[in-house]
Amino acid sequence: MIFFKFDRRIFQYFDWTLLALVLGICAIGIINIYSAVFSISDRQIPLYLKQIQWVLLGSIFMMMVFLVDYRVISEGAYVIYGISVALLVVVFLFGYTTHGSQRWIALGGFSFQPSELMKLTTILALSRYFDDHKSNEPYTLKELFLPFLIVIVPFLLILKQPDLGTALVIIIVFASIVFFIGVNWKSIAIVLAGGLMLMPIAWHFLKDYQKDRLIMFLNPDNDPLGAGYHIIQSMIAVGSGGLLGKGFLKGSQTQLKFLPEQQTDFVFSVFAEEWGFFGALVLIILFMSLILWGLKIALHSRDLLGTLIAFGITALISWEVFINIGMVLGILPVVGIPLPFLSYGGSAMIVLMTAIGLLMNVSVRRFILQR
Amino acid sequence: MANRHNLLNGPEPAEFRQKLNIIIVVILAALTVLLARLWYLQVIKGDDLKQRSENNSIRFRNVMPLRGLIMDRNRHVVVDNRPSFDVLYMPGRGKYPDHLIEKLKVIYKRRSLELSYDQSLPRQMKPYLPVKLEKNVGMEKVAVVETNALDLPGIYIDVSPVRLYLDGETIAPIIGYTGEISKEELEKDEEEYASGDIVGKHGVEKFLDPYIRGSRGAELVEVNAYGKEIKNLGRIDPVSGYNIVLNIDADLQKTAWEAFENRPGAAVALDPRNGAVLTMVSSPSFDPNLFNSGFSREEWGKIANNPLNPLSNRAISGQYPPGSTYKMIVAAAALEEGIITPDTKFLCDGTYAFGNRTFRCWQKNGHGHISLHRAIVESCDVYFYNVGRLLGVDKIAHYAKLFGLGGVTGIDLPNEKSGLIPTKQWKLAKMKEPWQTGETISISIGQGFDLVTPLQLASAYSALSNGGILWQPQLVRSIETMDGKIHKEFLPAKKGELSLKKETIDLLGHALWGVVNEPTGTGKAARRPNADVCGKTGTSQVVGLPENERARREKKLGVLQRDHALFVCFAPLKDPEIAVAVIVENAGHGGSVAAPIARKILDAYFEGKKKIKQPEVVMLNPPAKSEHQ
Repeated sequence: MIFFKFDRRIFQYFDWTLLALVLGICAIGIINIYSAVFSISDRQIPLYLKQIQWVLLGSIFMMMVFLVDYRVISEGAYVIYGISVALLVVVFLFGYTTHGSQRWIALGGFSFQPSELMKLTTILALSRYFDDHKSNEPYTLKELFLPFLIVIVPFLLILKQPDLGTALVIIIVFASIVFFIGVNWKSIAIVLAGGLMLMPIAWHFLKDYQKDRLIMFLNPDNDPLGAGYHIIQSMIAVGSGGLLGKGFLKGSQTQLKFLPEQQTDFVFSVFAEEWGFFGALVLIILFMSLILWGLKIALHSRDLLGTLIAFGITALISWEVFINIGMVLGILPVVGIPLPFLSYGGSAMIVLMTAIGLLMNVSVRRFILQR
Repeated sequence: MANRHNLLNGPEPAEFRQKLNIIIVVILAALTVLLARLWYLQVIKGDDLKQRSENNSIRFRNVMPLRGLIMDRNRHVVVDNRPSFDVLYMPGRGKYPDHLIEKLKVIYKRRSLELSYDQSLPRQMKPYLPVKLEKNVGMEKVAVVETNALDLPGIYIDVSPVRLYLDGETIAPIIGYTGEISKEELEKDEEEYASGDIVGKHGVEKFLDPYIRGSRGAELVEVNAYGKEIKNLGRIDPVSGYNIVLNIDADLQKTAWEAFENRPGAAVALDPRNGAVLTMVSSPSFDPNLFNSGFSREEWGKIANNPLNPLSNRAISGQYPPGSTYKMIVAAAALEEGIITPDTKFLCDGTYAFGNRTFRCWQKNGHGHISLHRAIVESCDVYFYNVGRLLGVDKIAHYAKLFGLGGVTGIDLPNEKSGLIPTKQWKLAKMKEPWQTGETISISIGQGFDLVTPLQLASAYSALSNGGILWQPQLVRSIETMDGKIHKEFLPAKKGELSLKKETIDLLGHALWGVVNEPTGTGKAARRPNADVCGKTGTSQVVGLPENERARREKKLGVLQRDHALFVCFAPLKDPEIAVAVIVENAGHGGSVAAPIARKILDAYFEGKKKIKQPEVVMLNPPAKSEHQ
């Protein structure tokens, strides 16, 4: 019953560092979106205002999950997970399609992307599972079967949309958690061998444009017009920023709309063009601080559940940051993963802010949970 | 991270700490890679990339495919492609584009050239989507623009393929023309076409567009600040369209076209052995090359608003009363139904009274007692009034439909009309009135409601000539790849059989031979030595048809009240090789106006045949060698 009592210590030990880091990155994101869509005039509500609205809405969710002890939230982990999967099924059946993939469901006037929610609820379900099945020995393949099932169901549903990026992130985060919690090395070897064997089959199931992007990444000269166009334009934008950048609203690549999807997946190139190497450095350092801070929270948690939740969320953010920036800089294939807190998008922003709320939750309760 | 803490339970924290160290190392490594890459792009390659971004130098450009060639049966190229030089303006970063246009005008003026682009530039131009200033400019302008490139940043010359219609107006309404795809066309086919595509708008170009057009390629090029290409970053080659080989004989086509001397009308020549369309003329015509040369709105208006509608293909969409050419059908019906024998005689005194109406024969004094052979040879109207009335409208319609009248022939062209062969049921459904016997009398000489297309007439006579097989007329012989391999071949297709008695066919054939070759025949003008031409004249009335909407409109125009002249024929009587239908609008008598045109077509056919013995053999040779004359 202690969990439901309002404890003023949660404010005494409030994680101001985490809040400051996240809001700082969000602020950069809003300024950047302002610039990214500056010359697109035909919108009723400017995108940056909408992004502010998402950040505010996200902050409310953040505070809500912060106030309830994460162990209480974890009680409902499987239910929330089930709801998310159900939503994905709804998308599969009734979702609407833009740009050739079916990712959204309409909620009143808004559209919602359940795959974003799925990232967080999968982490919660996995944390709950491993917390329920503690072991001092490394996990064997047999023991990992159920958690694998937890991951593979949303993975397949999201892959089908198709949204290769999000599906991959969920698998990678799963792999990270498994690595972190400890696994029998023999098991890993078996999985890797199996994975390699399955690769040709998986290839068969990829959509043409997904294959194109992977082939193109392996051999960029193959298709300089299609997917290669994104990368070339993105690299020109980043590179032309130079050491100090062209200045706010002065990025010519950005303002002249050379970049496709410059307010979503390629938003980093807008920032790098206008703020240069130093600007990008500052942003990356902020992300690094956030990641290291998240890992610290994971390490210092009082229980395994908190450790896993914090680690999972941190892993999610890290992977998205590295894959997105790597993609924009042309060292990773274009797979469509947004940059956390910077890319425009309501669903992603709200889910990320909620995740930060959980991170704060774990952070604060190590001071409170002293049995 | 040095301070110790207690986990409530679970694995050893020390183990996590060890793992975390690995993870932190990995993260730092990834960070190093990202920063190194950033440094490489922004600092080492920064100036270079900045240059590229400042020129806004990368452009995505569509490369238009070559449309397939269109050739005649002897592989004489009828439609080719040629380069067109266009003056384009690529909107750049600001800098007063209207100023630039003024500058271009001044530069032009110095050479006493004039800019045909008279609008002001669109208010909202998308960056790097070029605006076409002038289409198909001459070499002089190309030279001026190229040499003044430095003063005209953003203005450049672009080369794209356009159609070259070598045989121009002689075949334009049949071949059609091309143009940029319209919004409506785009909406019809979402997948196949893209905006800016050149598509066929008419005729063969439209009907076979999916084969002819090929598929577009694309190019990613880097250009300098003046729009000059400096580097090709990648290219997807366009795929040329398939070549089309027509059954048309271009020489015959030319002769037939010239024979019309711009009088409105149409001519069709078919091969009765297989339905191949040897010639199809529609007059007046237009110059399809105008469509690619950036012609003015005025010139377009001249074509589009011409009351004679030169864009339409009269051979398949012109619907005319068949007049006396229809008597062949009525005669066939009467013989088959046993209404008459070849010896049945009727008295023609020049008129035929029915109720309170008097129908006349064209021969005012009448033909006297006349039997079938003479009635056809001299085209006696009264004879057929009698026969038609005995037959009744529905029997006539039955045979007309056997001959393919009143329904589309299925030729490989768009916009074919079906004509009209009335029945009692049709009139009741359409006009809510019962059929009148007087109307049967009108239709028995091909007047009244009867409407046919020139192609239907040629096809019907061709079926009679070959012993009863109704072929589907085919304009296209084959579709071939660029290197001459056959992609699709159109074999003769049987559409139906007349199933008439052999005696009927022979009898009619001889009567038609008499029309041309006997001293009293109406079609003497088509006579040709040693060719045994068989035919039938027709003079179809335009006035006196109050139910005919078209006729009423034309009545006001005065000149257009005159009768249409028709002539349909085939030759030779034995083993016929060609069937021809000619219609000249408002020109008077079929025998004196239409028959001479048919004669010219027959002359050209039989003389051309002497020159090239067997065009089929020529077909098999590679195209380069086989081009004749």
